[in-house]
Parts: sequence; C-alpha cells; structure tokens
Amino acid sequence: MDYNVLILCILLYLGITILLSVLAFRHTKTKKDYLLAGGETHPSLMALSYGSTFVSTSAIVGFGGSAAMFGMSLLWLTFCTIFVGVFIAFVVYGKRTLLVGKKLGASTFPEFIALRYQSEFIKKFSALVIIAGMPVYAAAVMIGSGRFLEQLLHIDYNLAIIIFGIITAAYVITGGIKGVLYNDAFQASIMFLGMILLFFVTYSKLGGITSAHQALTNMTSLVPESMAAKGHLGWTSMPKLGSEYWWVVVSSLVMGVGIGVLAQPQLVVRFMTLKGPREINRAVVVGGIFILVMTGVAFTVGALSNVYFQQSLGKISIAAVTDVATGKPNIDSIIPLYVRSALPSWFGYLFMMTLLSAAMSTLSGQFHVIGTSLCNDLYKNATLSSNRFSILVALAASIYLALKLPGSIIAVATAIFFGVCAATFLPAYTAALFWPRATKSGVIASMIAGLTSSILLMAFVHAKESTALGLSNLLFGKTTLVGTPWVYIDPIMISLPLSAVALITVSLLSEKVDSIYLLEKSTVNK
Amino acid sequence: MLGFADPQIILAYILCILSAGLCVAYGIKNWNKDC
Repeated sequence: MDYNVLILCILLYLGITILLSVLAFRHTKTKKDYLLAGGETHPSLMALSYGSTFVSTSAIVGFGGSAAMFGMSLLWLTFCTIFVGVFIAFVVYGKRTLLVGKKLGASTFPEFIALRYQSEFIKKFSALVIIAGMPVYAAAVMIGSGRFLEQLLHIDYNLAIIIFGIITAAYVITGGIKGVLYNDAFQASIMFLGMILLFFVTYSKLGGITSAHQALTNMTSLVPESMAAKGHLGWTSMPKLGSEYWWVVVSSLVMGVGIGVLAQPQLVVRFMTLKGPREINRAVVVGGIFILVMTGVAFTVGALSNVYFQQSLGKISIAAVTDVATGKPNIDSIIPLYVRSALPSWFGYLFMMTLLSAAMSTLSGQFHVIGTSLCNDLYKNATLSSNRFSILVALAASIYLALKLPGSIIAVATAIFFGVCAATFLPAYTAALFWPRATKSGVIASMIAGLTSSILLMAFVHAKESTALGLSNLLFGKTTLVGTPWVYIDPIMISLPLSAVALITVSLLSEKVDSIYLLEKSTVNK
Repeated sequence: MLGFADPQIILAYILCILSAGLCVAYGIKNWNKDC
C-alpha cells in the first residue's frame, strides 16, 4: 500500500468533513436545530444517518469475523436488522415516535419517555443510564478505531484515539445533529460503495453466487473438532439446535442485536428529526437497501473468506488468523486480512475509508446523545452553548475510558450496552407508543427490573461478560454461578421479558392515569 | 438450492432480499402518503 496515496485519501476525506461541518454550523442557529435539525431533515439523509450510526466498524469487521467462524447462520441477523431494525423500527415505531414526540415537544429520548409519563425521575434515570453506559460503548468504537489507525498510519495508539475523538467531536460540537447528519450521509456513501464493490469482487473471484456457496458447503468436513463439539455443522448450516454455538448465534447475535436496535437512544432520536410520516415512508426505501448491503455483504463475505483462505493458504479463516505463539485466533483480523490478500490494492484504500466512515458515523451519534442527555435531561434551561460544552464532556469521558479499557473489551462493551438499553428502555418505549394503560409506576418498575436483571446476569451468569468483568470470580472464585445452557443464553432473553412483565403487572395494579398524554388515536394521528 | 446445505440458511438468504424488497415496495407505495 502506497503511504502517500493513503495520506492523500485521508486528507481529502478530512477536507470534505470540514466543509460539511462548516455548512452544518452555518445552518445551526437554535437549540432545536442543534438537537433535532429543525425537525425538517431530508428522508434520505435521515435513513443514511440511521444506517451508518447503527453499522459501526465492529459490525463490519467484528461481526464479519464472526460470520467467518459461525458461517452463513448470521444471515438471520441481516434479516432481523432489515425487517426489525428498519421496517418495524421505521414504519411501526418511527411514525408513532415522530407524531407523539412532536405532540409532546420532546427533543431527546429520555425527554420523550418522561413527558409521556409525566415523570422527572424517568427522565433523569434514563439520562443516567445513557450517560453511564454510552461512553463505554463509545470507548469500544474508539478502541477499535485507534487500533486500526495505529496499524494504518503507524502512529501511537493513544495519539490515534485522541485525534480520532477530537475530529469527530469537533463536527458534533459545531454543527450539532446537523453536523452528524451531513457527515453521516457522506460517510454512508463511502461505506455503501465499499461494500458493494466487496460483494461483486468476492463473488466474481469465487466463481459466482452458487459456486461460491457450494464451495463453502463442500468444506463441512474441514470444521475443526473443537468447533464441531460446540455444535458447528458447517458454514452453510445452522449450528446444532440447543448447542453452545446455537445459543450464541440465536440469542446473542441475532436476538441481542436484532431486537436491541429498537431501543437505541441515538437511533430513536433520528425519527424526531423528520417533518412527518411521509418522510418516514420515503426513508424506509434507503434504509432497507443500505442495511441489506452493509450487514448482508459483511456476513456473506466473512463466511466466504473460508473458501478463499482454503484455496490460497490451505486453511480455514480462523486458522489463518491464529497466533502461532499463543495458539489463539483473532477473528477481528479476518476481514482486514481477506481484503489485504484477496482484493486489488486500490480497494484497500477504499476499504480503509469505509471502516473510518463506519467508526466516525457511529461515534458522532454517540457523542451527540451523551451530550444532550447530560445537558438537556439532567439539567433544565440548557442553552445552545451548554449543549456544545456537554459534547466536550462526552469526548473527555470516552477518551478516558478508551485509554483505560483493555482492547478485548470491544465486543463485550457493545453487547453490554445493547442488552442494557433493550431491557431498560424497550418495554417502556413500546408502551409509550402503543399502550395507553401503562402507568408511571409500571414504567419505573420496568426500567429498574430491566437494568438490575441485565447487570446481575452479565456479572454472574452469562460467561462472555462475567469472565470479562471479573466480579463473579472476585466474589465467588468462579467466572459464572450457573451451568449450561444458561452461561450461553444472552441476558436479553431473560431481562427483556422480566422488564415487560414488570411493566404490565405494576401498570395493571396501579391507578389508571387520566391525562392528555394518553395515546388515543385522535392524539397522535394529527 | 443456491449451493447451501441447510434449508434454514436458504430461508434466511431469501428473507434478507425479500425484507429489503418489502422496504422498497412499502416506501414507493406510500411515497406521498402522510400517514
């Protein structure tokens, strides 16, 4: 790879980012501009921003690497991200969020839930969950980006994190949500181009769609014994029903991310930037295609990389990235290694820009939500300047965590945040839109039950998180307190139903609320 | 079919394309509807 060409590409990329930031700054005059882009965003812009914020580098590199390990079963996650993450999220949740949000005059996710239930406690509690959890997720994105920039530009890792964070925060501070939206659309375009080319080049290299899949099917006998024992039945088959791999794929990857996406505050707020339901109808076209290309290509290419490495190196993808000294594979290296070895060198530049865009677009949305939660939801009378200052606080907290947390925390931190958000917010958010009988007490019970059960399950039951957190080991001398299959079942499978049951039970037991905020048809369909 | 061994994977592959098609069809059909 020519270092000078790479630097030129990055400078060009940064130049466009600065131009878009200046444009956003000029169009940001009021607090409403800063928080909701004036409420009149173009539907394509919103859809691209939603998609690029949802799909981070870890979705392409991390989950692409997981697809190399688990195979095409990850296509169920692609289906969920399109059907649940776009169609249901936009058409069912998005329209109601937009209409109810406008009726209530909400500018942030905590404010939306709080105004619906007329509770200052719900607002502060939601804001605190976001402020405590989102920097960890943002730090995970920064760690991945820092490692990537360190390798790419041969610069110090700590310096890479600081530069990357400052550049992203700069356009969020100056342009608010408009800075985020404009840059997201630019970054999403690069991501789309990069992934489309990756799709065509891969299938063309492996002899076409059916031939490539058939070659992968023919490799079933090459599944290592250690993986077969955990339920791996080949890269074009689902894992064995009820096995460790089946639970990981179905509960953590497909359900955890596929359902968890509905309650992500940084995504929900995108709906409130639109003018009306017509814009959501238009946005769903762009959103559906974008997510299909992003996740569909990443997971398909990840699985098919096994065919390439088998044909070129005589080993499967995991073996190609296994460290000789430690004997441990680093699945995050599979996609970068595949791009470097199988594709033309010019594609490497485009792919680097694709990953940079994916990371930056996710991080900018995270900074914006942390900042607005801190400034608008915890304190009253927030001004445009105080909103800008709060992004600086978000930047500082995320940089601090990124420098302190270990690299292996990336996937765990992402899973923790998705799980906590789903269990804490999804039942309350759903009821806020569709169940007028839900009460303030029911929502508070649901949020507390969801958050508490998530944390306890992650700390003491689900092996992936409990091993990384180390609390169970510290207190009880073992990484998890239960046996199989509970150690593999994602916490969301237990904490989300618990949270929903708490909401329904307590709401039905508490007094019915008679308020103008009830979601009668006449209230929201105007 | 399509070179896959497992009908569940074939189903997932087809559902991915159909769900994206659903998004496109829904968006076009309701392009000018404000509800």
